[in-house]
Amino acid sequence: MNMVSLDKKKFGSFILELSAEYTVYAPGKAGGKTEFIPVESEDEIDLKTLVTDLSPKGIFFPHSEVLYEYDKEGIRVPQKETGKPIAVWGMRGCDSRSLLMLNKVFGSAIQMPDNKNFQDPYWKEKYDSSVIFGTGCNEPLSTCFCNWFEGGPHSSQGMDVFVADAGDRFLMEPVTDKGRAALDKMSSFTDSTEDDKTTAAQLASEAQGGMAEPMDVNGLGEMLNNKYDEPVWEEVSAKCINCGACTFSCPTCHCYDIQDEGKGSSGKRIRIWDSCMFPIFTMEASGHNPRALSSQRVRQRVMHKYSYFPEKYGEFLCTGCGRCVTVCPVNLDIREVLKRINEYKKQGITNG
Amino acid sequence: MGNYCVPQEMRVERIGIEDPARTLRTYDLSFVNDADREAFKYLPGQFCELSIPGKGESPFGIASSPTEEGFLRFTVNRTGSVTNEIHYLRNGDLIGLRGPLGNWYPVEDMKGMNILIIGGGFAFTTLRSLLVYLMNSRDDYKNITVIYGARNPDLFIYKDEIAMWKQRDDIQMHLTIDKPVDGWDEKTGFVPAVVEEVAPVPDNTMAIVCGPPVMIKYTLPVLTKLGFSDEMIYTSLERRMKCGIGKCGRCNIGSKYICIDGPVFSMAELKNIPETV
Repeated sequence: MNMVSLDKKKFGSFILELSAEYTVYAPGKAGGKTEFIPVESEDEIDLKTLVTDLSPKGIFFPHSEVLYEYDKEGIRVPQKETGKPIAVWGMRGCDSRSLLMLNKVFGSAIQMPDNKNFQDPYWKEKYDSSVIFGTGCNEPLSTCFCNWFEGGPHSSQGMDVFVADAGDRFLMEPVTDKGRAALDKMSSFTDSTEDDKTTAAQLASEAQGGMAEPMDVNGLGEMLNNKYDEPVWEEVSAKCINCGACTFSCPTCHCYDIQDEGKGSSGKRIRIWDSCMFPIFTMEASGHNPRALSSQRVRQRVMHKYSYFPEKYGEFLCTGCGRCVTVCPVNLDIREVLKRINEYKKQGITNG
Repeated sequence: MGNYCVPQEMRVERIGIEDPARTLRTYDLSFVNDADREAFKYLPGQFCELSIPGKGESPFGIASSPTEEGFLRFTVNRTGSVTNEIHYLRNGDLIGLRGPLGNWYPVEDMKGMNILIIGGGFAFTTLRSLLVYLMNSRDDYKNITVIYGARNPDLFIYKDEIAMWKQRDDIQMHLTIDKPVDGWDEKTGFVPAVVEEVAPVPDNTMAIVCGPPVMIKYTLPVLTKLGFSDEMIYTSLERRMKCGIGKCGRCNIGSKYICIDGPVFSMAELKNIPETV
């Protein structure tokens, strides 16, 4: 199947068709904020918002997730409630790329010395069977910087079906076999015309042109390693209040805590999003804290995204969605941090 | 596909009290399920997450040696809420366990070499595992020298075994305490100074260092001064951990996770990693 065209008047019936096969998530309002919510009809879907307040990572890596329940009888891993796989409508390129990164952490096995296979069953159960309908961004925001990395406003990485918003219709193009199979089961759309293809290409090119000039990120990791011990980290982190809003809203931040909740002999073990911005993240029972200073924690976040993760997994742990720039209460802009460190001239003193 | 978030059940078989203040206790755990016992293959230096429902999990180095069959040994210092709860356990009680996790001391590479084991305080756990492992096939290794320091005589762990090892002529055992105490006829002074005094020969020798960060920090330069190359020095590191499988993100030093890339690192590896010791 090639590109198909979905008249926006038929969007409602398309969502109904999709709901028959999948649990559908789409951008919507929750508590006054935009995030990806489970939807059953067109009315609940926000088609305007480009970057939702909360990233869609929570669909596959929930803010808190029960690992298992325990009581006197033993341990039980909770089973999924519905047999339906997940479909996501309206995920932007920055967010769909983030899923590929998270899948490297949770879905792929890290090769252990003894060949143990540490795949995460909770992630895989949800992600492996999912279908992602991604939407191209025709008018990127001033906080968007997906073009710094391998993404772009009309990138289809991490999507199963790429959707271009052509005003009165959606132009949908399958990216993966999974996406093709999903579309094969539906009928709300019509075949695309040559005109549609030209329109899609034009939208992509205009969107690309609407973005600011990217910073050159070649050798970014080495540059950061090289300046690890420099006082510039204190300068760039001085105003950070370690609130953790950046890690909370980030589609790629995935550090988590494990906590027990229970009373007496029954309860559950859950994992919850955590943040490297918090002092207790690395605080040991003895009181020793290897990252006691705010500047050390800001450095950790930047190093993890642009040096450590690329070293381990071969790509930056950042998709340029700009949420951290938008939500930061003290206007700490990660783009400015990277630029400042890049232009900073190393002092003569090093301890390396 | 296994679920590495779920612990297996172990039973407390024996509890040993290591110090008069009773803050250090040693637990021998047996496997409740035969399948778990069959599947559990480890080497000295690896660790496990011990788990108490409702309280949480903490990582502990395995103090038993794989050559000692049927049980796993852990020594637990009462420090936080999980270790506190472990100290309430009695014989026959159940405890959760995930592991073995992490890498191990390079026991294969050690064959045919002199071995220098340097330990401090209650970090002697995985060093005990190593020492018992080496002694089990003693002929594979040349001289074995142990330098073990504690703040005071009470704080050595495995005192009975230490006394036994001291009797043997195929281990050179050097014990040291920080300050002189009446009745102490072994060495006095910090571990780095004692290493310098004992001055082990670096030729064909592998050094394994494990102890509190400050001990490691000041011992490594002494070994370098004595002529040990970075490739011949190994140490075991610790950080706060949760998942133990390289995902939760807190135990990193530079790009390495202590839980899967360590806890055992050579000095040569650590040279290129920031924020280690």
